[in-house]
Amino acid sequence: MSTKTYSALGERMETRTLDNGLRICYLPKEGFSKTFAILATDFGSVDASFTFEGKRYDTPAGVAHFLEHKMFEDEDGNALQKFARTGASPNAFTSHTMTAYHFSCTDRFEENLEILLKFVFTPYFTEENVAKERGIIGQEIGMMDDTPGWQAMVGLYKGLYREHPVRVSIAGSVESIAEITPETLYTCHRAFYSPKNMALVVCGTADFEEVCRMAAQFSPQEAPEIGERHYGSRREAVNELLVTQKMQVSQPQFLIGFKDDPLDAGESRLRRAMLGELAARILCGDTSPLYAALYEKRLIGRDFDTDYTLLPQAAAALLGGESRDPAAVRAAVEGEVSRLAHEGVDRALFDRMKKAVYGLYLRVLDVPEAYARQEAAALFAGEHYLDFAALFDTIGADDVQAMFARWARRDRCTMSVIEPK
Amino acid sequence: MQQVTRKKLGAGVNLTCVTTPKFKRAMLRVMLLLPLGGPDAALRACLPHVLRRGTAKLPDLRAIGEALDELYGARIEAAVRKEGETLCIGFLSDCIDEAYAPGAAGLTARVIRLLSDLLCDPYLQDGVFCPDYTAGERASLIDRIAAQKNDPRTWAPKRLTELMCENEPYGQPALGTSEQAQKITENKLHAAYRRALDEAQIELFYCGTMASDAVEALFAATPLTQRRDKSFYLPQTGVVSQPAGAPREVIEKEQVTQGKLSLGFRTGGSCLTAGDPAAYWMFQTIFGGSTSSKLFLNVREKKSLCYYASAQFIASKGIMQVHSGIENRDFETARDEILRQLDACRAGDITDAEIDAARKTLTTGWRAMLDDPLTLERYWLGQAAAGTLVSPEERIGQITDVTRERIVAAAQVTALDTIYFMKGAAE
Repeated sequence: MSTKTYSALGERMETRTLDNGLRICYLPKEGFSKTFAILATDFGSVDASFTFEGKRYDTPAGVAHFLEHKMFEDEDGNALQKFARTGASPNAFTSHTMTAYHFSCTDRFEENLEILLKFVFTPYFTEENVAKERGIIGQEIGMMDDTPGWQAMVGLYKGLYREHPVRVSIAGSVESIAEITPETLYTCHRAFYSPKNMALVVCGTADFEEVCRMAAQFSPQEAPEIGERHYGSRREAVNELLVTQKMQVSQPQFLIGFKDDPLDAGESRLRRAMLGELAARILCGDTSPLYAALYEKRLIGRDFDTDYTLLPQAAAALLGGESRDPAAVRAAVEGEVSRLAHEGVDRALFDRMKKAVYGLYLRVLDVPEAYARQEAAALFAGEHYLDFAALFDTIGADDVQAMFARWARRDRCTMSVIEPK
Repeated sequence: MQQVTRKKLGAGVNLTCVTTPKFKRAMLRVMLLLPLGGPDAALRACLPHVLRRGTAKLPDLRAIGEALDELYGARIEAAVRKEGETLCIGFLSDCIDEAYAPGAAGLTARVIRLLSDLLCDPYLQDGVFCPDYTAGERASLIDRIAAQKNDPRTWAPKRLTELMCENEPYGQPALGTSEQAQKITENKLHAAYRRALDEAQIELFYCGTMASDAVEALFAATPLTQRRDKSFYLPQTGVVSQPAGAPREVIEKEQVTQGKLSLGFRTGGSCLTAGDPAAYWMFQTIFGGSTSSKLFLNVREKKSLCYYASAQFIASKGIMQVHSGIENRDFETARDEILRQLDACRAGDITDAEIDAARKTLTTGWRAMLDDPLTLERYWLGQAAAGTLVSPEERIGQITDVTRERIVAAAQVTALDTIYFMKGAAE
């Protein structure tokens, strides 16, 4: 067990790895009424093809998300109803890279933790309950089909990648989920819900020793080796320069993506994420000179946003919002990337943007849901979120310029547009 | 642990302060409260966005952006909201607590000054708003009004409210109409600005580590608290306890895949300040307020009709709404199932376990609110707009002794007013 204090941030962290490989982290939040716990597996929608126990599996799109829905069901009832009896607020999500189950509660923490550990480690799938879930998920897919922002994101990944499974929407399609059987779900559970592939993060008020004792009691002793995952062959250039779809929107919605190099072996994921967010902000964040210029020309609005995404064997900067003329925004943004790659970043601009990004990372510490999720992602990369402050000092203007130089290379930019019908 | 103080800083100017050592950021709000709707509606919705463009000292977005970055990425966003039949316009801000960054001393004071400058000392040309900024934000407002329909999941509830409350101010959109927005000029906007400053009740909010006296002193040093002695708006909301007639069913076709079913109910008069809101929250939670509610268990889990089906008690107005996304062909089935679950509540078909679970869900929700400055801001603005000051802790106290009889009574006075179905017409 290890305890680490980050006095400048006013935070403390306790960590332990169980014999079966489960990583546990406790982030105390003094004075908070609520305690939040998240049990996450390093298994997301992009992990659909893998080799496990010597056999290759190519599972239907949407299987990680389907599994998330079905995990709540146990032989003796639904975990949601068990949480209802304690008053906890449970939920789950599936991202491209992670499936996570969580609850927040204001009392009876240990009772809730037991429910969480038990249902996540106990698969129970039948032909009947899988068939029933298809209807519910089918409606969720229908809802996402009607959400322009989501469709713009799906389009962007199609533009960026030719083979990488992030091209496929997280929940899959009505057709792909029709192929999911109890057997598929059992295989994925065995392959990826191994304690070795998982992390438990508790943020709030808890007895860390008791958390570890319970985790050891309710997680399997044996942990299968994690199989190899297949993400397809990678290429430098984007797949398509422009992806357009038509939907019922009042004006075009768009996302511009710059394909970056994936993480190098041994490179800090947390540092790259900060660097990417900083670069995207310098490029066209809402306090940047280019943002002001585009806003004044009425090419973008307050909804315009920037982000940086890191996936296995992939990384990209994302910028977008609504615009009457996405092509003009793209031209301006590409021009600015090229300028920044050649001229570098103005020192004063770099310094103030760095302060702003520091402020954003610090504020996450007040939001247990976000803090714990960030810590889970950091654990999967062998890091801790709280190290952001130290890593921050290692980021220089030349790092940002080098990143812009990668974005500025030929065929590294794509755009996804949702046009009005 | 969490100390809430409310203080009058001037005529029609109130400060709500939540002081707690647990946060690393501070949340601030400066909001004007005005009646919803009316001829100034679009002008008022446009106003905070034009004000956000520049102050006398920081005349454009570049200057404001620089200032915000230097304040460790403090955020200031223009806000236009509806709380009951009160329109709230102004600014929300969050910034880091000055203890957690080198050289950040005085940061809160600087953010407060910037908020005050944005509202009281805007960038003007020839004594009115700058024509460029006005034209830009007028066009943005027109776009925003049109964009409300982009996401069916948020549009369906808005449309239901419009239909259900078409004869009440609550049916008016916070953003005004496109026709009104097209007529905005810098002169009209500036006149509306002067009127709004004169007429509004001003609600200030702070949540962070500072003591209320210190926060009060910072606000008192700005023009925000130096108010005139004219009469100002007192927030008020009319509550209609029963539907005007038989339930109305409205079906509209849109180019979407999934149908959206929304039902609007009257609560028999229960709202934040009247009736039996505690019992109503209990009923709404049992009916459709959690993953153990009747709607979730039956409409979603048992019948697989939808991904979501939930009930919301809009206590600020005294109405309840149910929202769901369904297959177009399931309209009647889903509608009937939702109403069947309401009938079950009315008939007293509620178990002790359901009552217990609802009480715990609500308690957890209100307690968890104390950990979230954004939610607290919204909560206390809602209280101010309702002219009441009940804390989340007091709300928890109020539901502890709600009996089954009161819950059933809340279900029984609930009356269906309007059904709205957005029917998907996409191929």
